Amino acid sequence: MDKQQLRLILVLTVICVAAGAVLAWVNGLTEPRIEAVKELKKQRMLQESLPAAVDFRTDATLLQRARETIGPEICDLYLGFDDQGAPVGIVLTVESRGYGGPIQLMVGVAQNGRVTGISVLGHSETVGLGAKISEDDFLKQEALTGVTFEDTLAISKDHGKVQAVAGATISSRAVVRGVNRGLAAARTVLNDERR
Amino acid sequence: MHKWSIFKNGILNENPTFRLVLGMCPTLAVTSAVVNGLGMGLAATVVLIGSNLMISLLRNVIPNEVRIPCYVVVIATFVTIIDKVMAAYTPGLHEVLGIFIPLIVVNCIILARAEAFASKNSIGDSIMDGLGIGLGFTLALMLVGAVREVLGTGTLFVAKDFGFSGIELFPQEKGALFMILAPGAFVALGLLLGGINWLSRKKEAK
Repeated sequence: MDKQQLRLILVLTVICVAAGAVLAWVNGLTEPRIEAVKELKKQRMLQESLPAAVDFRTDATLLQRARETIGPEICDLYLGFDDQGAPVGIVLTVESRGYGGPIQLMVGVAQNGRVTGISVLGHSETVGLGAKISEDDFLKQEALTGVTFEDTLAISKDHGKVQAVAGATISSRAVVRGVNRGLAAARTVLNDERR
Repeated sequence: MHKWSIFKNGILNENPTFRLVLGMCPTLAVTSAVVNGLGMGLAATVVLIGSNLMISLLRNVIPNEVRIPCYVVVIATFVTIIDKVMAAYTPGLHEVLGIFIPLIVVNCIILARAEAFASKNSIGDSIMDGLGIGLGFTLALMLVGAVREVLGTGTLFVAKDFGFSGIELFPQEKGALFMILAPGAFVALGLLLGGINWLSRKKEAK
């Protein structure tokens, strides 16, 4: 191996090691903040889904039970309590397969079975089209918000009442399917509790 | 004056979208609305300035034979740092622009400028080139976005993330949904490219 070749290897190695070191340093610096931001966002979303609650607690046994009856699409389960410590409802995060990938939804249901909020946590739908599922025009429609856990929703194309986003039937259907799963899980858990 | 001409070159003579026809993938993908084009363009501009600066700094150190892998490592590092820092310190902005940032790594404009300009020019000139090319890219994306947004939805400058519902030119139902979808991107880009070629030929003939 001559000197020239050695130089190539050396320069590339040094650049890669330097890049790795810088990235590790930046990652160490930003990771705690990114986690904090994520946690804050989750708390805010939980609050939006179930406004009456001030404290949210996870419950592994109930989550396990919801997964067994409804399916593995149920990702997380939070029980909401007010400032007196009384239960006010339940929030479920559900995953549903959309057009561009999984759509993560949050469905809040009050103790009496009324839906208190539906929000989209994350998705990878087409920008300007399917991505509109996360906008209020779609999510805040009466057919999605004014329902209880006894209802099973469907978009108008499937003879339901939910108005799908124009040109994004698959994305809209995925949201509705996810919401239905969430409602079914809420029904299972809340009905269990009453007994 | 020299710096100014480098800056202008990026916007007009060597506009990455309409003149160099580079970075077509993000151009076709994100131009469904003006604001999306603006977001992608600005994010790419920041990366361009940063990567041009780094490549220019290292231009005498990097041997010719391994320059491409070196550039790729530098650019990918830079993009990742921006992504992480934005996620940590400007989460709101990151939420809006977040989807564009990983796309920038594969944006060939960045690599093209590293190869064609920054590796041969001084730091100051390279920064100016990054700024010019970046803004040229931004303007081009916004132009394609404007055509598609107006024809597809009847509105202009919709920015729901910033609470701006846009200027309605005609009702949404009258819009050609097709313009928002992938084929509309090809049609809009093709017509704009053709139009600009026609204009510049006419200018040359004079």
